[in-house]
Amino acid sequence: MPMTALAPTSQLDVAADLLALLRDSTTEPRPDDQLEALTLAVAADLPVLLWGEPGIGKTAALTQLAAALDLPLTTVIASVHEPSDFSGLPVVGDDPATQGVPMAPPDWAVRLVRAGRGLVFLDELSTAPPAVQAALLRLVLERRIGALRLPPGVRIVAAANPRSSAADGWELSPPLANRFVHLQWTHDHDVVVRGLGGTWPRATLPRLDPEKLPGAVDFARRAVCGLLAARPTLVHRLPTGETQRGGPWPSPRSWDMTLSLVAFATAAGSSRDVLSSLVRGTVGDGPGLELLASLDRLDLPDPEDVLADPAGAVLPERGDLRQAVLDGVVAAVRARPERARWDSAWAVLVRALETGAPDLVVVPATTLASLRPEDWDVPAEIEKLAGTVALSRRADRAAVAAKGRR
Amino acid sequence: MSTHTTEEAVRLDRDKLFAARLHAARTRPYLATALFALHIVKSDRVPTMGVDRYWRCYVSPAFVARTPVEELAGVWVHEVSHLLRDHHGRGDRLARERGLTGVGDRLRMNIAADCEINDDVYGDGLVRPKGAVQPHKLRLPADRLMEEYVSGISLGPLTLDLSWLDCGSGADGLEREWDLGPDGADGLSEQERDLVRFRVAQGINARPGSTPKGWRRWAEEAFHPPQPWRDLLGAALRSAVSGGGAGDDYSYGRPARRSAGLPGVVLPSLRRRPPRVCVIIDTSGSVSDDELGSALLEVAAIARAVGGRRDLVHVMSCDAAAGAVRPLCRSEGIPLVGGGGTDLRTGFRKALRSHPRPDVVVALTDGGTPWPSARPACRTVVGLFSRPGVSQARRESNPEYVPKAPPAWARVVEIGSAPTAR
Repeated sequence: MPMTALAPTSQLDVAADLLALLRDSTTEPRPDDQLEALTLAVAADLPVLLWGEPGIGKTAALTQLAAALDLPLTTVIASVHEPSDFSGLPVVGDDPATQGVPMAPPDWAVRLVRAGRGLVFLDELSTAPPAVQAALLRLVLERRIGALRLPPGVRIVAAANPRSSAADGWELSPPLANRFVHLQWTHDHDVVVRGLGGTWPRATLPRLDPEKLPGAVDFARRAVCGLLAARPTLVHRLPTGETQRGGPWPSPRSWDMTLSLVAFATAAGSSRDVLSSLVRGTVGDGPGLELLASLDRLDLPDPEDVLADPAGAVLPERGDLRQAVLDGVVAAVRARPERARWDSAWAVLVRALETGAPDLVVVPATTLASLRPEDWDVPAEIEKLAGTVALSRRADRAAVAAKGRR
Repeated sequence: MSTHTTEEAVRLDRDKLFAARLHAARTRPYLATALFALHIVKSDRVPTMGVDRYWRCYVSPAFVARTPVEELAGVWVHEVSHLLRDHHGRGDRLARERGLTGVGDRLRMNIAADCEINDDVYGDGLVRPKGAVQPHKLRLPADRLMEEYVSGISLGPLTLDLSWLDCGSGADGLEREWDLGPDGADGLSEQERDLVRFRVAQGINARPGSTPKGWRRWAEEAFHPPQPWRDLLGAALRSAVSGGGAGDDYSYGRPARRSAGLPGVVLPSLRRRPPRVCVIIDTSGSVSDDELGSALLEVAAIARAVGGRRDLVHVMSCDAAAGAVRPLCRSEGIPLVGGGGTDLRTGFRKALRSHPRPDVVVALTDGGTPWPSARPACRTVVGLFSRPGVSQARRESNPEYVPKAPPAWARVVEIGSAPTAR
């Protein structure tokens, strides 16, 4: 021992210093939509499947998530296990005929059950042989490992490589795909470059607001039921075609999951982008987008409210949403034509003209004018819409000119 | 419109701009949502009009002043088309995939994107703006996608007068100095952009009759992009090959190598049963040699990768009669005999009778064939050469025409559609 103490610092010690310097990095807060979506889905106790190329930081994200939720993380690399590691190892006892063959669980499962809580990360699901995947799915869906049942405090997240880069035939059958929230995991170029430069992002994770809970459930039920009542064909639609295979699709089960996710995202005050990836990852792109579109419509002012108080109405800034409101107002008057409502609709159009682009007002104004029975007088407000008439004429002239030039 | 733009816009003739938008929305009602979603930003640095990926539309007041209303309407539709067709996202992907990172490359992408738009959005009440790029002026064919045009465009004498052309970062993905960026005012978030595109597509799908062909195709593919057939064929084949009964799986047939260390515990062991793959090739006249060659190479490569042994891949050519089944032992060409009409049923019969029986049958065909009436006793993957032009023409001349679809029991991968298009 004295020999080494006197010797100049050994190469390994220098290397350790260099390693320490390399690992010395700081973090900065940065919003991270995909991590937020993952956190919400895990909080909602739904099985999540992360799709992403190898080496893009799925494990790092899970480490951060476990730290944020204060759960011990257990990573299980599926491809190095055998099916019996998940379904239990059959141990032959003295008298199998009378006592049966017990299925012994692996040590990590025993530790998890003893701890009562934890985050299990099933990595590289796609490179495991089919029998291992089958055993794993029982763990994911029934929470059973051999004779053990995982306690409710344990959350499970799985990761798979996209089908195009999967090494073998792994893909989910439609019934299995329907049970997962599918999240696409990609890397952010800026984050990686900045991280390698010494500053990694620290995501601020969503916090559920206890006061918002009842409202969130009410909102989620209204949103999902409102859409499905109007569009019954969206309730259940099996995927067809190779591209959608193994991906999310709508069914009563996945709509139920969507309902939870909408409630969780609302209670956490998450952005629409986060909600979008969750909803589209649960019921698929088409139905997911329809739900999001109908959420947008829930946010728009009710045409009847606008008609009741044209002066106080707040019209959206964005042209396409404003157009939707104005069309809604005119449609409401058409549905129940009364003199007072008609006049009030003109007031709304004047207000729209004063606060935004005039071309949006032309079509609703024309439709509204056509709703006039002969005995109604033209309201004074129509004078203020003279500008739109000029605009409309100008567009008419352009149409004539365009015809002439063909 | 927010207040700061109205204050700045002293010299921007907004009424002219809005009259043009109204005319555009009247002639293209299915684009109204998208046109109205654009947020106008006055800018003296844009040469004409340009968009960014956050759906802001930068407008040069001088350009508005010198352009007639009917031409401005065409520019509105042109700019919104860049955004609806996701040219910036596709430009980024092209830049990544093909390493096109220079400023000149982005200009080529902008020109290619313009070609894709300009060959089908004008006419029918909408005037083509002066100076709009047209494919035939660059000696390129019409009706292609941006991705296909890019490689055909070189910056030279033909594009000399186009170098002023700039539709902004929304057209090619390259940030411009006038861009307000993601944090600027009034941009649309990714989710909002998707929703606008979704609503436009929904509107077109609801009333396809009154919409031109190019937009109908866009609406169909907006949220279901064409299939990346190489990946899909590979995945379908791998899945067929490694399902139960073939490939690697656990079996209790022999003791596992871990058994020695764990007395009393019964463990399964890993066994490999390589699958036998038989490829039936439709050699009727309608499939071109190039297509066959590329698909066959793909199948052979995948099958070798999963099966491990070349002698397990067999190839058979088939038109009305099935040819001989040959093992794919050599890397040189496989003789393809045939040329007449097609009846793949004989091919399937012959493949299933061959010894040893194949685990997977892959049929490469253009689909103009009768199919076996019942599911064959093995997994089946059909590689279908798509013929959008032909079936479109047949459908137009004969509205009753329904192409014979492959049966439901086969996994079908369409071969030959552009991989990166949306």
